[in-house]
Amino acid sequence: MTDGGHFRLLAHTADIGLEATAPSREELFVVAARGLTFLLFGKSPAIASICRTVTLDAGDSAELLVTWLNEILVFSETAQVVPAAFLISDLQNCRLTATLAGEPFDPSRHVVERTAKAVTYHQLVVEERHSEWYARVYIDL
Amino acid sequence: MGVFQQPPKENMTIKVQQIDSCRWRIPREGAMRTEGLVFASAAMMEELRREQALEQVRNVATLPGIVGPSMAMPDIHWGYGFPIGGVAAFDADEGVVSPGGVGYDINCGVRLLRSDLHAAEIRPVLDRLADALFRNVPSGVGSHRRDLKLSLAETRKVLKQGAAWAVKQGFGEAADLDHIEAQGTIPGADPELVSERALERGHDQLGTLGSGNHFLEIQQVEAIYDEAAAQVLGLFPGQLTVSIHTGSRGLGYQVCDDSLRVMLKASRKYGIELADKQLCCAPLTSPEARDYLAAMAGAANFAFANRQLITAWVRESFEQVLGRGPADLGLSVIYDVCHNIAKWETHEIDGKMRRLCVHRKGATRAFPPGHPETPAAYRTIGQPVLIPGDMGRYSYVLVGTEGAMRETFGSTCHGAGRVLSRHAAMKKARGHDVIGELARKGILVRAAGRATVAEEIPEAYKDVAEVVKVVEEAGIGRIVARLRPMAVIKG
Repeated sequence: MTDGGHFRLLAHTADIGLEATAPSREELFVVAARGLTFLLFGKSPAIASICRTVTLDAGDSAELLVTWLNEILVFSETAQVVPAAFLISDLQNCRLTATLAGEPFDPSRHVVERTAKAVTYHQLVVEERHSEWYARVYIDL
Repeated sequence: MGVFQQPPKENMTIKVQQIDSCRWRIPREGAMRTEGLVFASAAMMEELRREQALEQVRNVATLPGIVGPSMAMPDIHWGYGFPIGGVAAFDADEGVVSPGGVGYDINCGVRLLRSDLHAAEIRPVLDRLADALFRNVPSGVGSHRRDLKLSLAETRKVLKQGAAWAVKQGFGEAADLDHIEAQGTIPGADPELVSERALERGHDQLGTLGSGNHFLEIQQVEAIYDEAAAQVLGLFPGQLTVSIHTGSRGLGYQVCDDSLRVMLKASRKYGIELADKQLCCAPLTSPEARDYLAAMAGAANFAFANRQLITAWVRESFEQVLGRGPADLGLSVIYDVCHNIAKWETHEIDGKMRRLCVHRKGATRAFPPGHPETPAAYRTIGQPVLIPGDMGRYSYVLVGTEGAMRETFGSTCHGAGRVLSRHAAMKKARGHDVIGELARKGILVRAAGRATVAEEIPEAYKDVAEVVKVVEEAGIGRIVARLRPMAVIKG
């Protein structure tokens, strides 16, 4: 949960879904990132001790969300980091620049709740609904 | 936060017509270019109508150049893009290749090892054997063998050579290669088309089991249904066998993700309308398709090498515990099959031989007796088909048939198929000592994470016996033997 939106997990026979809503598109991307982090590491506390700045592009706004979430997934997997904070400095329709921050995985403080292969494009939705932003993605576990 | 909800129902009104006791037609309508064909019992179909897998069969039928029906095997369940259990073939000139029709875990597959051992003689040391396997075969997050370090240059050789690379490094015997689909090397792999990120995700994961539904299992042959075929496969009642289920790990996931980004652009470029973005694709004649198939072959070869390394460490574990080498134990490969792959194959369509790109997403090749790609040792019985069940019941060994060749492009099911979501499985497992309950049934479990065991409880899956029954009734596979788990290693 963030002040600016919320997420929830969706049941899927083999995998898992993530739904997010937020007042703005920028906040939606942050809420979805927090949802993914929750899905991977549960409520493991993490501090922002390692940072990576990324610029990503995609074919449209919805695909950009998938690209963003996959970036976080790969960052956490390859750098063995529990994500802690997401700062979006520029968000265009098909491009974003952001800083990902997190803490090196420490088994005494952190729990791996699930491992994920990738965030998919299956039934992907990013849209404005009744003056708030909504997203739905499915994640391959 | 984190509250599970049922997903929003999409269009759930899919027309389905029963053809016979194990076949169902989804009639062509709307944007479908062909009909759907689902193999299932009436009870399975009742369950299927409650989820979205049938809609996925219909979506696949909208792709350009599809030849024959969009099919689903009886272990069908809701996937992403293609259904799990999906089979679709595409014309070489008019058709497409879709990375979503292969999946993220490229060449996820199963390998079965036989032995000369009777399960009963192993029972007293089963604990030690399970411990040795759990120690020697890395499983779970971040684990890998410290004695296997590959440079990027060497990893690229793995992508090119597959299981043959592992054998050259001393992991196994040349004879192992004769008992692997495509001899453990899909031709045409181009490591230069595999991204640095994919190499980074994968190179520490070669020779690792992973987590989720991947496993390593010591089993005993519980029943033989076809004695002649069992004899050819080297199977006998009470025998000890070992199954390995894993794939291309992070390398394959990244190859798929990289390719999907390319294919989303390609779908726009070539004007292909998509019922679901995960079905994004490119014409088989396009550079995008050629590049994907070359990168996919690299990931598939990585998976073959992965299972070959694990085989070597299974043999090492047996030697450590029993003090006898693999040759003395008769620990040899029966077969190794892919169940997430797209392959160029030649099939007879309306009396003419046609080159097709066959996508199997959670489906197994099941070539018949006499087929040139069925290994020489099995030419009289058909290609072995390995169907894992769940960790509390059983798995099956089948062989391919002429019926499969005629009706399903030589394909059949790949497993039991999930019926419970992971969340529902966790809920069901709550309050149960799953590992203790399995131990009381004589099944030892060694697992890196308890959550994986809860998500993988036997009740999370269909009864695989029902799945293979439909397969045999439909004539797209013949049951040879049933294997019962004795010890299960999970990530």
